[in-house]
Amino acid sequence: FKDDLSTSPQLFTPMSPYDVDLPIQTTEDVLFSSQFNQPKELPTDDFSVDLSFLPDITQDNKEQNLSEDGHEMQKELDGSTSRNEDSSIFTHESTLSYPDASQPSPGATDVYPPVTPMTPMTPVTPASESSGIVPQLQNIVSTVNLACKLDLKNIALHARNAEYNPKRFAAVIMRIREPQTTALIFSSGKMVCTGAKSEEQSRLAARKYARVVQKLGFPAKFLDFKIQNMVGSCDVRFPIRLEGLVLTHQQFSSYEPELFPGLIYRMVKPRIVLLIFVSGKVVLTGAKERSEIYEAFENIYPILKGFRKAS
Amino acid sequence: CGCVLAEGLLTTTYTEEEHLREVAYSHSTGQKEQLSRCLQRGIRRVQDLCKVLQLPMVFEETAVSYFQRALQHPSFHLVSLEKKELLGGCCVFVTCRQRNWPLTMGTICSLLYAKQELFASVYLSLQKELGLSVPALSLGDLVKTHLNSFRLFQHAADIPAPFVEDKEKMVTRTMQIVELASETWLVTGRHPIPIVTAAAFLSWQSLQPATRLTCTFTRFCKLAGVDLPPPAHLRLKELLEILLRMASQLAWLRVFNMDKKTVVKHIGDLLQHRIFLLKTAFCLEDGEEQHTAAPGEGSPGEGSPGSPPAAGEAAQEEGCPSEGKRQCEGGPRPLLPPCLINPRKRLRTAALSASDSAITGDEPISDSEIEQYLRGPEEIRAFRKAKAW
Repeated sequence: FKDDLSTSPQLFTPMSPYDVDLPIQTTEDVLFSSQFNQPKELPTDDFSVDLSFLPDITQDNKEQNLSEDGHEMQKELDGSTSRNEDSSIFTHESTLSYPDASQPSPGATDVYPPVTPMTPMTPVTPASESSGIVPQLQNIVSTVNLACKLDLKNIALHARNAEYNPKRFAAVIMRIREPQTTALIFSSGKMVCTGAKSEEQSRLAARKYARVVQKLGFPAKFLDFKIQNMVGSCDVRFPIRLEGLVLTHQQFSSYEPELFPGLIYRMVKPRIVLLIFVSGKVVLTGAKERSEIYEAFENIYPILKGFRKAS
Repeated sequence: CGCVLAEGLLTTTYTEEEHLREVAYSHSTGQKEQLSRCLQRGIRRVQDLCKVLQLPMVFEETAVSYFQRALQHPSFHLVSLEKKELLGGCCVFVTCRQRNWPLTMGTICSLLYAKQELFASVYLSLQKELGLSVPALSLGDLVKTHLNSFRLFQHAADIPAPFVEDKEKMVTRTMQIVELASETWLVTGRHPIPIVTAAAFLSWQSLQPATRLTCTFTRFCKLAGVDLPPPAHLRLKELLEILLRMASQLAWLRVFNMDKKTVVKHIGDLLQHRIFLLKTAFCLEDGEEQHTAAPGEGSPGEGSPGSPPAAGEAAQEEGCPSEGKRQCEGGPRPLLPPCLINPRKRLRTAALSASDSAITGDEPISDSEIEQYLRGPEEIRAFRKAKAW
């Protein structure tokens, strides 16, 4: 491990988030380059797509962001320490070329595209700049309110695909084959649906469970369906020095080989937890929308790639 | 100000004074009462742990302050007593790690008689809730501390004389082997102690191979008075494999038919030239650092037969061109973590098929599909009988 440190002394320069002499353009939401207007220039190098006009928005604060000043936008983007760290750490890398710093950042106010909330969709293969790797969704957890009290013993008796052990767990465990999922149905009428591979599948599955409950004679509704968690995974295809990563990204990383072989990276923006393994496999979880998974991966990929060169 | 006393305790005359008891400052000011009993007990426990581990005073203060902060935090305020006890140990553990004091979780868990899973969950919550950044365990320090517990540095009745070893030499060599393991991906993601134990064994054997080659790993640990953790055998195997590959690059060793036993005799040489040997014995992934494969260390006498002819011969033998081409056609194996070299065959979940991706979630659901999940009346009767509901 000593050799690693000696070859890259830059890794230890302390920095503050605002200390970076860098344009705001960083890799972010590259996926949306196809969904929205084309970026101002199509670069040939990595990480130089100008996507600073894209705010980090949800349906709620859409209006707020649209009226935000461009400078505030910059500050918000600069403030994300995780990105700034890797940007400044790896500016010496020739492959990471950033567009000219003097280039004016696009006035955020006039470039805001008509934003639609991130409707779930199959990922479009990103143009060229990004990693070229798309995380695959592995599990979706959703909840829905059937809005009626349920007799769990009754359900377990009348349904073939139900399991009920009140001593072990206070809910019926029900499964359907298509989409292959599992549901936890509580006597309050609340239901959790797990195992789906996409948001739509989760919704379809939840509706089927609700129908089963309806057919069993309960006045089940389908209220407040919500995706609670999404898990994705992918492979960067090169080994990663976790002990190095935890050194340079200490405030986000937890690497305890005594406990768990992977490094737990808590990304701030988006708020996603990544499990990074020495084999190069990455698990991303904690997302409410799939765009967060893609964004998180595009954020971590340059960091991981930087470690590949340094080792 | 004022406290309510029970009736009859306030006396008016000296002769009535019966309870001549001094009121302690802490009592009258309620100093002790400000800290709940739970907190007091916890703080005492933290202090005791620090004393047992012989930690500097400043560690104790830090650990206690973490503990107080943690207990006030909503996520720890109401946890079980068992968890609160572990919380104290976690605070000590975090303090040690932050100050590069090599303390393993295993040690703390055994001191607390705690289950490691429970300790792990409390530790991770503590780290998250208090936003503590905990640096990784320093392997170098761990080697020194772990070797301290080995009994082989002094003569004893049950230890054969040739088995006793000089501590300094053993620490140095074990460190080098552990570093080698780290460079060759044997350390990342694995428990550290088994690696250190395996490295200690190899270093001990190599310091006096004549008498020690016959001693097994198990016997070594018994003599040394340390545990032999199960993964240590695997780590030993992996280390030997690396050393054998390195040995194949040393010209004067190629004449010998190296195996797991004989390579131990040459560990000293292999460690001395390890940087060069690693570069030639393994195909580095990117290969950009490979070009400067000058034998920087080692005397010229050893170096010259080592470098060009060895590289040339290596090229012949193993098919990896000496220009440092990235592709290795079945020659020196790439320097990768073992999990990538021997991947376990795993069911790869197929990506969503075209039909799956076309799902909108609003498809109509047929009655027949739902009915397949419902029991018929006869089935229900049979079930009722069987389950006696």
